[in-house]
Amino acid sequence: MLNIIYTFWITSIASELEYRLNVIVEIISLIGNIAGTIFTLFLFYQQGSNVGGWDFYSSLIIVGIYTLLEALTISILHPNLSQIVKHIQDGTLDYVLLKPINSQLWLSLRKISPWGMPSFIAGVILIFVGLSKNNIIIGNLEIIYAITAICSSFILLYSIWFILATTSIWFVKVWNINEVLRSTLVAGRYPLTAYPPSLRTIFTFVFPIAFLTTVPAQALIGTSGHQNILLSLVFSISLFIISILFWKYALRFYTSASS
Amino acid sequence: MLTIYLKKLFQFSRIIFSLFSSQYALMLEYRAEITLWAVSGLLPLIMLALWTGIENPLVNYLELNYLKRYFISAFIVRQFTAVWVMITFEEDHLDGKLSPYLLQPITPFWRYVTSHLAEQFTRIPIVVIMLIIIFSIIPYSFWLPSLSSLIFGIIAIMLAFWVRFLLHWIFCMCCFYNDRASAIERLLLIPYLFLSGLVAPLETFPEIIKKIAYITPYPYIMSFPARLLSGQDVSLFLGFTGLIGWFILLFSISIITWKIAIRHYSAMGA
Amino acid sequence: MSKIEVRALSKSYRVAAKKPGIAGTVNHFIYRRTKEVLAVDNINFKIAKGEMVGFIGSNGAGKTTTLKMLCGLIHPSGGYLRVAGFSPLTRDKKFLRQITFVMGQKQQLIWDLPPLDSIKVNAAIYGLSEKECSNRTYELASMLDLGDELYRPVRKLSLGERMKAELLAALLHRPSILFLDEPTLGLDINAQVRVRQFLSNYNRKYGATIILTSHYMADITSLCRRVLLIDKGRLLFDGLLQDLIQKLSPSRSVIIELNSPQPIEQLSEYGEVVEYDKNFVRLLIPRNDLTSKISSLLIKFPIKDLEITDPPIEQLIGRLLS
Repeated sequence: MLNIIYTFWITSIASELEYRLNVIVEIISLIGNIAGTIFTLFLFYQQGSNVGGWDFYSSLIIVGIYTLLEALTISILHPNLSQIVKHIQDGTLDYVLLKPINSQLWLSLRKISPWGMPSFIAGVILIFVGLSKNNIIIGNLEIIYAITAICSSFILLYSIWFILATTSIWFVKVWNINEVLRSTLVAGRYPLTAYPPSLRTIFTFVFPIAFLTTVPAQALIGTSGHQNILLSLVFSISLFIISILFWKYALRFYTSASS
Repeated sequence: MLTIYLKKLFQFSRIIFSLFSSQYALMLEYRAEITLWAVSGLLPLIMLALWTGIENPLVNYLELNYLKRYFISAFIVRQFTAVWVMITFEEDHLDGKLSPYLLQPITPFWRYVTSHLAEQFTRIPIVVIMLIIIFSIIPYSFWLPSLSSLIFGIIAIMLAFWVRFLLHWIFCMCCFYNDRASAIERLLLIPYLFLSGLVAPLETFPEIIKKIAYITPYPYIMSFPARLLSGQDVSLFLGFTGLIGWFILLFSISIITWKIAIRHYSAMGA
Repeated sequence: MSKIEVRALSKSYRVAAKKPGIAGTVNHFIYRRTKEVLAVDNINFKIAKGEMVGFIGSNGAGKTTTLKMLCGLIHPSGGYLRVAGFSPLTRDKKFLRQITFVMGQKQQLIWDLPPLDSIKVNAAIYGLSEKECSNRTYELASMLDLGDELYRPVRKLSLGERMKAELLAALLHRPSILFLDEPTLGLDINAQVRVRQFLSNYNRKYGATIILTSHYMADITSLCRRVLLIDKGRLLFDGLLQDLIQKLSPSRSVIIELNSPQPIEQLSEYGEVVEYDKNFVRLLIPRNDLTSKISSLLIKFPIKDLEITDPPIEQLIGRLLS
């Protein structure tokens, strides 16, 4: 299994490197986006105010987590999951289904883009800056909590995205749903408590950006109770299982675009 | 002499009209996608939620009502100035559709313009429905702009669309030189997001950044029409001078770059 | 034991009926009419190991749908299906290892990379070792007459080269059942001949069962002894190609050029006279006694030239389907 993924990734990196312009574009857009986000944060905080009980550097940790999610999106989610619709449209999903390999695994991990790397590094740096400016020293328990929360957040994002992409089996034309997802995800750049109460509920249960960025950041700072971590773990794993079942169910309706 | 020009103009407008109507039929086919895309323009509303939730003296200074109107206006402006020409242009280029377009007696430029206009037309009912939903959630933020600010606002949105379209069109020419030039679009998006007034009203910007922003076309294509619509006092003269100035500048540049790019394209053997 | 067994297979689709134009769109938006379309209707057949079978029929006859049901891509609406002892629907890994599906109009090769990279990916998926992979690649490449092309990006290959590379990638795991949907689509005559030769070699070498659909009758006539004729989802004929031709046109047309005009009555004893123009005569003679009739013709009349033609098979089938 690992061998297959290794081969997948080697070839897709080779394929990506055919287009060298992307490196420059990716790095400039990363710097631009982070600068823009920090600038917006700065606008919020310029009068010494606080955003939903979070100070500037704690918010920076949230931006860091968000940037890590961006890295995941750029390197794995976007290259793979945006292809599902194309596979269905062109009928090349046939080839995927005929391989003696789990089709969800193939569709989710077939490609990797090296251009997520700068975002990953930037995310880690932001988190460290935020932590050190707040003089937070993370203990062992926090480390375990934080890693669990971040992993759950990755699984959660993946599952939501995969479930949405799966709907294209029925509605081939809804590729834009990915754009809706990405644009709503932007809300995760800021702490959950900054939003009005009604939106907080939506952002926790309907579109769970709470578990995507706020809870992992709280885990790092040490303000998150263990029940939050547990909740995000349960939430993400159940969504992951749902994504698997949903894909299996959807395949029964696949009609294979014919010539 | 005049009749020849009139005849030419008539012929041209006929072509434009038929292009528009065929593109409109196509866009109706894509209504599901367009709806989703319209929904994805939620950013100003997210920002609205954030700005109103902040305990910030600045917010008090700006007045809550004004903030709401501003971001809802920004949402409308964004809906009708959406530009995606780089993506379709690159696709057409790679699929080899561009060469036949170039043989037609009208430059492909108009094909893309009409498809954008047709898409905006399709968007109107979608945006109306979204506004109804927004105002039913936050009814106290409802307002009707005065007739003059509505008219000027619509003109400003139209001009803003043209400025943004021309800006992207100029960068489309890079497709002739590089296979994946549409990646540049992501770069164009960054100043649009952060300097145009989409994430925060320009009044909240520090002086120096505000000055930098006003060197770029971005405040004119977002902040100016949004403030007009939200019923704020804005200098019509400065705003429209900016929009028209950028329009003339970008239009001239686009003519030159198009000529250079086409020469390069035909030299490469189309 | 038969490799493929199909009983009472059928597939129906719901399709939306929509009129063109804006009015049609609006109408469709409000009031959605759907209708049931039977793409495949109660089909039965068996295919033995090592057979090469051609599916023929017009566009939309249900050939591709049948193929896709056979390899488990589409769920049938009803019927019994066994391929290599498996029910294709379960997409058992052991089953998938035994089959391959090549589509002329869809590709699996990675567009920006040389075919060799895609081949390596496939080797990993099918669990072939590096050595096995390179051995098989070498073997198939020589059968397909591929060389450098394997090192050039797919987007830079010609259509024929690309198809050959597709075949290589699809056959790397040495499947025993090949489903080929229009494998020669768009290829020039030379490339078509190459692909055909390769397929018959592969069939001979590995005893593989091959099922193909094609619009080029030459593919079918040169590869398949047995054909299945499908029209509007129904199986109209299942048997030898020879028999189908016999059934469709029991006679052949014989054109003779005589030294001097002969009375028509005498000629029509040998077959139906279709054309009669002084020295040129065209006769339709039943296939069964073609040779005896012709030899007595040659003895009895002063014949300068004689030509036997078969109506082209495309025409025959076209006539049958129209």
